[in-house]
Amino acid sequence: MPSNYPGFRYGADRETFSAAKVKALESLLIEKGVITGKTVDTILGYFETEMGPFNGAKVVAKAWVDPAFKKLLLEDCNAACEAMDFPEGMSGAEGEHMRIVENTPEVHNVIVCTLCSCYPWPTLGLPPYWFKDPTFRARVVREPRVVLSEFGVELDESVTVKVWDSSAQIRWWVLPMRPAGTEGMSETELASLLTPEAMMGVATVSV
Amino acid sequence: MKLQHALGGLEGLDTITPEIEVFVEPWEKRIFGIHTAMMALSNHLDTSIPDYAIDDVPTTFKSFWTWGHLRQGAEGMHPFEYFRLRYYEKWLGGISGFFVSEGYITQEELDARTAEFLEDSTAAAAPLPSGGAPAIDDQVVKYLKEGDSPMRPLEAPPKFSLGEQVKIKIVSPGAHSRLPGNLQGRVATVVKVYEGAFTYFFPTADGIGVPMPVYSLAFQPEDLWDESLIEPDSVYYNDIFEVYIEAA
Repeated sequence: MPSNYPGFRYGADRETFSAAKVKALESLLIEKGVITGKTVDTILGYFETEMGPFNGAKVVAKAWVDPAFKKLLLEDCNAACEAMDFPEGMSGAEGEHMRIVENTPEVHNVIVCTLCSCYPWPTLGLPPYWFKDPTFRARVVREPRVVLSEFGVELDESVTVKVWDSSAQIRWWVLPMRPAGTEGMSETELASLLTPEAMMGVATVSV
Repeated sequence: MKLQHALGGLEGLDTITPEIEVFVEPWEKRIFGIHTAMMALSNHLDTSIPDYAIDDVPTTFKSFWTWGHLRQGAEGMHPFEYFRLRYYEKWLGGISGFFVSEGYITQEELDARTAEFLEDSTAAAAPLPSGGAPAIDDQVVKYLKEGDSPMRPLEAPPKFSLGEQVKIKIVSPGAHSRLPGNLQGRVATVVKVYEGAFTYFFPTADGIGVPMPVYSLAFQPEDLWDESLIEPDSVYYNDIFEVYIEAA
């Protein structure tokens, strides 16, 4: 799966070397009893089934249809996520202290971590490459409207843009606006409209 | 200060081509998993809030490894090297170097095994070794579910209050910092005083590590950038540890 972003596409030799080196490292760590033969696959599997953007999508969909839940979510994100019918772990690794900010017709929020890649694992899983990209991290804090337009988000001049950087221990995400034309949709249908990009503020939700 | 400490606002960079994949090469998944296992097996978890009987976990890993260690490695790199390497390439270099320096493996055996996989495609495609104590993986899953909360009781009242104007100190980031360098000397407004106090994984030369208040600060663009560079009607917020803040 070579990247579609030229900046991340390197020569085959470089990737072959990294693949050999990481396999060498993992096999030695297993032989020496640091980890087991299943440890890495257990972790990767956890992010496919337990922690991922499928959780965040359900939280947002519920907030769109349940005003009391939305109020709780905005006031105490962890309490709201723990109240969902999810497996244990919504305040687990990299989600111990989460905050969510609401997009409205007047305010658009976008999340960044200029120092590294802090991301709310329980609700959104692992950060996509655009979030880890030094170019995004450098630019969005000063010129968020231009960066958002490069992601395809065109904001009206009347909209205030709020950029939230994560330099301490809070993990941030965004409650996007519910799009028009979704009246009568079930929570499951609404959840299917959501993407990690929408829940970090670099996309809007559409039908 | 290194360039990786002060990315915010750099000019002259490329247009963004959003890459939405988490991993762009299959090998990257493996180093992510190794790092997460190290965090889940770190010897400091005996002092964490969740009740981890970490000393009883039958792993040979007995070291202290956290996000702070991974970040310190990346921040310690030559700046041009930092930007030459893709995200998980930095992880692979830092983590394999850590296992060598801590004596779990030798550089020679890592290089020899790597060379074997490069030269022998059958060996490279062969399954990884199997086996190991299942209790190791139980601890890893327990860590994913229960985390490692940095929140601690507040021992002294926060120095700053909601609505107050404050200024970011001018400090050297040293080996590791959680203060974006471009904020040094800038003024901001406290928009939230977080409940409790927050520790960091270990003490840094620039002062975090002991539990202290954290504030959500709002910076106006005109206080950060030249007028010719700012966009109208935007606000930049950041969560900042108290030690980095002084009265305006």
